[in-house]
Amino acid sequence: MKKHKKRIFLAIWLSLLAVLLTGIVCLWPPGAKHETIQQTMQDGVLHESNKLRFFGLTVNPGLVSAYLVSAALLLFAALIRIFAIPKFRLIPGKFQTAIEKLVTFFADMANGNSPHKPGFVGAYIFGAGVYIFFSTIFELFGVQWITTGGVSISLPAPISDINAAIALGVLSYAVILGAGIRNGGLRGALSVLKDFSLPISMSFRLFGALLSGLLVTELVYYYVSLSFVLPVVVGVMFTLMHAAIQAYVLATLVSIFYGEAVHPRPKKKKEKKTKEVVAS
Amino acid sequence: MPLNIDLLQILLHMLNFVLLAGGLFFLLYRPVNRFLESRKAYFAEMEQKNAEQAKENERLRQEYLQKIQDADAELTEKKKKAEKELAETTAQYLREAKEKAAAIISAAEQAAEDRKEHILESAQTEIGELVISAAQKLLNDTVTPERNRMLYDEFIRLADSTVSDERSKHVRK
Repeated sequence: MKKHKKRIFLAIWLSLLAVLLTGIVCLWPPGAKHETIQQTMQDGVLHESNKLRFFGLTVNPGLVSAYLVSAALLLFAALIRIFAIPKFRLIPGKFQTAIEKLVTFFADMANGNSPHKPGFVGAYIFGAGVYIFFSTIFELFGVQWITTGGVSISLPAPISDINAAIALGVLSYAVILGAGIRNGGLRGALSVLKDFSLPISMSFRLFGALLSGLLVTELVYYYVSLSFVLPVVVGVMFTLMHAAIQAYVLATLVSIFYGEAVHPRPKKKKEKKTKEVVAS
Repeated sequence: MPLNIDLLQILLHMLNFVLLAGGLFFLLYRPVNRFLESRKAYFAEMEQKNAEQAKENERLRQEYLQKIQDADAELTEKKKKAEKELAETTAQYLREAKEKAAAIISAAEQAAEDRKEHILESAQTEIGELVISAAQKLLNDTVTPERNRMLYDEFIRLADSTVSDERSKHVRK
């Protein structure tokens, strides 16, 4: 077969496929869904209907996602620790550079925002950043799980569950509060407590950002007619960008507030003494 | 609770995150940071060594430059000294040569003079001997007893006349 005949055959075949798929998509019966779009959106926010069994407990899908993501990340980290880190060289390769960049990104952020005591906050924001980023990306894999109702669902990002967002927000605030108490005692605690809205804002910022992405993604995936090409754009916009942005935002906020909490305060007694000396 | 907030699930999420953060810290964050610090220390040490080496090199360079300068100065000094010694030696040689030349000339002149005198003496002796022999020969040929008597007489006459002339001169004075 000559080349131009091959091309013609290929064009006709692809056109036929496109027409058939478009027809199937347009004529797909809406009754095939087990819930309406309203129910899907509401469940995306509240997780009331689709529950999962987890070690005897009935939990939101986000919790299962969280443990799966953590297990995968810990396994990956253990593999790196065992096989890659002992072979690290002075002049790094591509993989070593990526790992070094990941660690130094958060370590540098901690050093920049909390120069007095960057050690602990660096480790914390590293964990939080990695967790937020990879747990948000997790929803792209579409891991299937059977609900208590016997329905198969795609596991969502853990932080789209408000409980996960609250947990992360409260933990972050606890870290900052702990640093304030350790650094300045009761005065340090009081100075941190004045930002009492911090855990709420952190939690809801995370939850809102992730939820908005989830809702749009749910909306897109609900209708088969929107399932071509568009999910690629939506997935990139609302998942990858959210993952990076939210990881960056939370890590930055925690390191900044932590830096403020551990910032050394001037001692008033010394000031009084110097005033007395000047007066005399 | 509103929004399906569940305290147990929050705690489970916290447990999950604490486990994850701790695990990542021990498995990834700390080992990589330690490696980076060791590498930083290694490069800092290397940089310090290089700096020290550069400093040492600079010190050696300055030392060698100083040595070269000293050697140049020493060379110049030695050159001057050698030139001076050469000049002195040359002058000494010249002076000695002149002295030797003068001595040689003087000795040669003396030798020539001696030679001349010797030749003259020899010549005079020979001439005297020749004259004597010639005179003897002449005398043997020409002198007879009559002739001898006549000569002796003539001699006595001349001697008398000479003595009388001298006496007259003394008298006049």
